[in-house]
Amino acid sequence: MDMMEEFKQKFIEEAEELITNLEESILILEKNPKDQEQVQLIFRIMHTLKGNGGMFGFNKISEFTHNLESIYDFVRNGDMDVTTDLLNITLKAVDHLKVLLEVGDDLDTQTQETHYHYTSQIEQIISRKSGGTGPAPRGTSPARTIQTNNFHHGESAFSTYFISFKPNDYIFNNGTNPLYLMDEISTMGHAVAIPHFENVPEITSFEPTKCYTWWEVFISTKENRGNLADVFIFVEDDAIIEITEIADYDLFEEKAFNTYAEFLQTENQHADLKEIKKIIDNATEITDIPEILEESPGLEQTDKSDVPQLGDREIKKPKPKAESSISSIRVSSDKVDTLMNLVSEMVTVQARLSLFAEQNNIPELIAISENVQKLAKQLRDNAFSISLIPIGSILTRFQRLVRDLSNELGKKINFEIEGEETELDKTIIERITDPLLHIIRNCLDHGIEKPELRLEKGKPETGSILFKAYYSGSNVHIMVRDDGAGLDPERILSKAKKKGLIDESEILDRKQIFDLIFAPGFSTAEVVSDVSGRGVGMDVVNKKISEIRGEVLIESEIDKGTTMTIILPLTLSIIDGMQVQIDDEYYIIPLGAVHKIYSITGTTAEKAFDNVIVLEGEQLPFFNLRKEFEIGGRVPQKLEVLVVKYEHGMVGLIIDKVIGEYQTVLKPLGKHYKKQQFISGGTILGDGSVALVLDTNKIISKFSRKNTKPEDVK
Amino acid sequence: MSESQTLENNSYLTFMLGDEIFASHVSNVIKILEMQRITEVPRAPSFMKGVINLRGNVLPVIDARIKFGLPATLYTERTCILVLNLKIDDETVEVGAIVDAVNDVIEYSQDKIQPAPRLGSKYKSDFIDGVMKLNDQFIMILNMNTVFSTEDIIDLQEQTNANKEVVSDDETSKTE
Repeated sequence: MDMMEEFKQKFIEEAEELITNLEESILILEKNPKDQEQVQLIFRIMHTLKGNGGMFGFNKISEFTHNLESIYDFVRNGDMDVTTDLLNITLKAVDHLKVLLEVGDDLDTQTQETHYHYTSQIEQIISRKSGGTGPAPRGTSPARTIQTNNFHHGESAFSTYFISFKPNDYIFNNGTNPLYLMDEISTMGHAVAIPHFENVPEITSFEPTKCYTWWEVFISTKENRGNLADVFIFVEDDAIIEITEIADYDLFEEKAFNTYAEFLQTENQHADLKEIKKIIDNATEITDIPEILEESPGLEQTDKSDVPQLGDREIKKPKPKAESSISSIRVSSDKVDTLMNLVSEMVTVQARLSLFAEQNNIPELIAISENVQKLAKQLRDNAFSISLIPIGSILTRFQRLVRDLSNELGKKINFEIEGEETELDKTIIERITDPLLHIIRNCLDHGIEKPELRLEKGKPETGSILFKAYYSGSNVHIMVRDDGAGLDPERILSKAKKKGLIDESEILDRKQIFDLIFAPGFSTAEVVSDVSGRGVGMDVVNKKISEIRGEVLIESEIDKGTTMTIILPLTLSIIDGMQVQIDDEYYIIPLGAVHKIYSITGTTAEKAFDNVIVLEGEQLPFFNLRKEFEIGGRVPQKLEVLVVKYEHGMVGLIIDKVIGEYQTVLKPLGKHYKKQQFISGGTILGDGSVALVLDTNKIISKFSRKNTKPEDVK
Repeated sequence: MSESQTLENNSYLTFMLGDEIFASHVSNVIKILEMQRITEVPRAPSFMKGVINLRGNVLPVIDARIKFGLPATLYTERTCILVLNLKIDDETVEVGAIVDAVNDVIEYSQDKIQPAPRLGSKYKSDFIDGVMKLNDQFIMILNMNTVFSTEDIIDLQEQTNANKEVVSDDETSKTE
């Protein structure tokens, strides 16, 4: 029971991913309806969903996708064109699949209704195509039979395949019985299976939970390679499966082959494909072995010029998973988290080693420690890159949202995406999705005007939303820009006053006014739609983003549009930092934030007027961290100024001195320090003490509000 | 502290703050550390002393004296940091508490514990689980979960006096 639940959970996870991929492919297909690759992909995903769904008790999903699959089978065979109607139905069907995945087979009346609605829609399409015969019965779609027949237009529809099936020794763990697979294969044609037992150990070391047997199968069948491979679809990841077509006719008609197969079976020998080739060569005048996959390197590649069309078609189709499984693997995110934690601890220990080596001044120890440091850094970067995923992985949802919502609202929108390859920590990606959805929704609902209004304003009819992600120092910026109505500061201000969010007399600058839309209970929409504008929203967006140490900047001009920029840290766990000292405390400042370092005298800092110093002829607003942090003590004669980027300008931070670079493993300070937002966390130094990691952006915004006029900080 | 925990285990750790003895149920105390260098966190409330390194993690440390409204004193050799395991809003939080000295671990039967007296509105009796009497001394059992989750300074001085009055009232009423 528990086991089954576990599998179900796995299926759901996988299905979610598949459905996302499906959606993505459909959206790509919409842009280029001739994209054969996408059609293939869509078909394959549906096929997998169908198979897995049935196996794990999601029968509704299985039935539903079966019908969809039939449609895309027509499409992929060129019997049906990709039309907007078709895509619309498919997308709706995909949405329905999501629902089905959530509720399983017990549908409530409403879902039941939509289920029948879509099913009949899809069935109609199919019946229109296949001449009113209605949907194909499960499993044997007419399209596939036709297709199979098309391929084998010779006198014999049979082909002979050689299958080598080597399960992992733990294949039993997921409930697979390899014998059933062998049975299933046997039903597809004339098959001879040769089990091999040479891996079975002595009885003393025999473990009944392990699978030691592997099989070789010769089969002559009318089915194509893909269908044979489908038998193994659920064990692809747990076994080495090679399927090779060895002849395009029924080899069992050859006496020599039969004898050979019998010999293998009785003697328990491994099949030698060269031997078989000889048999084929000798036996008939058909001298070509049609196609041999690269997967069986033992075979000589034969000239395939004589091979009928079949070869080409067949090669394209092998399951992509089998090929790509070598270049990428699926790892549970727990394992990645553990890896990151271990790497973090190692980096901390390495810092101790470095310090110890330095203090003891043993040349060899220093050399070792430096090597360890280098390795730790590489390991860190590597582990770090594993936990990064491109932001493109969540964009499908946004594209879909824009597509559907623009139709619903009667607006024309061109949604552009830049920098989808920009990578972010997976936990950040997970937590940024909802806020981004909300922001994009706002653009569509409140930002972009209706086409008539846009024409009136002299703007192009089609509005545009630009989604752009890019790196900036140790941060990632995600920008969402629309060319819509823009925010009206006057309106925001009057509304905030009306709602009592600010006092009547308060005077705010532009930025502060825009920030008001983040205040709880603020919503600018005049009409409350079901899309957005319920007054819960931007404040939640802001909260969620600051939870992951991010920040939102708003730029807007009336009738020109609004730009929201979300600034995010690259990672939540390890950063390249710069260790600095104030009094006898150490602090870490993200290296990426530091632009330049200058050295100044204590008196310059003391005497500076209005918190501005002049460096290289440029005025630079600054903050004396010793003062801002309320650290007493004697100010040393020599100080250093870190010039850090802030919004569009530079700001100086005065510290006592820079110690050096430090690989920083970020540890949270915990609930008790949640109000000290300008501190990202703590890190353990080489000597075991704790240094605080500072968030320069938040320090500047916090202290500039307190003791300088905002104009000082540009 | 849940009911079942308290029933299972009657051990209490007693510690000093000023002249007063306080007790915490042992289930809240993970370990006791010697006083060590604490990294200060700027712009934090005065009772938030800073952070220390506890097995590679960052542990926030609270000065219990300041938290309870007692004047700060210099730390001595007997000053300790109690590493506490707290439940705050269904989350387990570790926090360090600086106390003047740790005395003892004592067994005290649940049914002998007297309830904390309810006083005026100035303090919350949530902070006190009850009062023990040991060798003619009154020991307040603190509810560590609530005490160290508030952001305010708690005036325990007043509380202490109030407890004594109530407990001795009880005593007298019993003997009569």
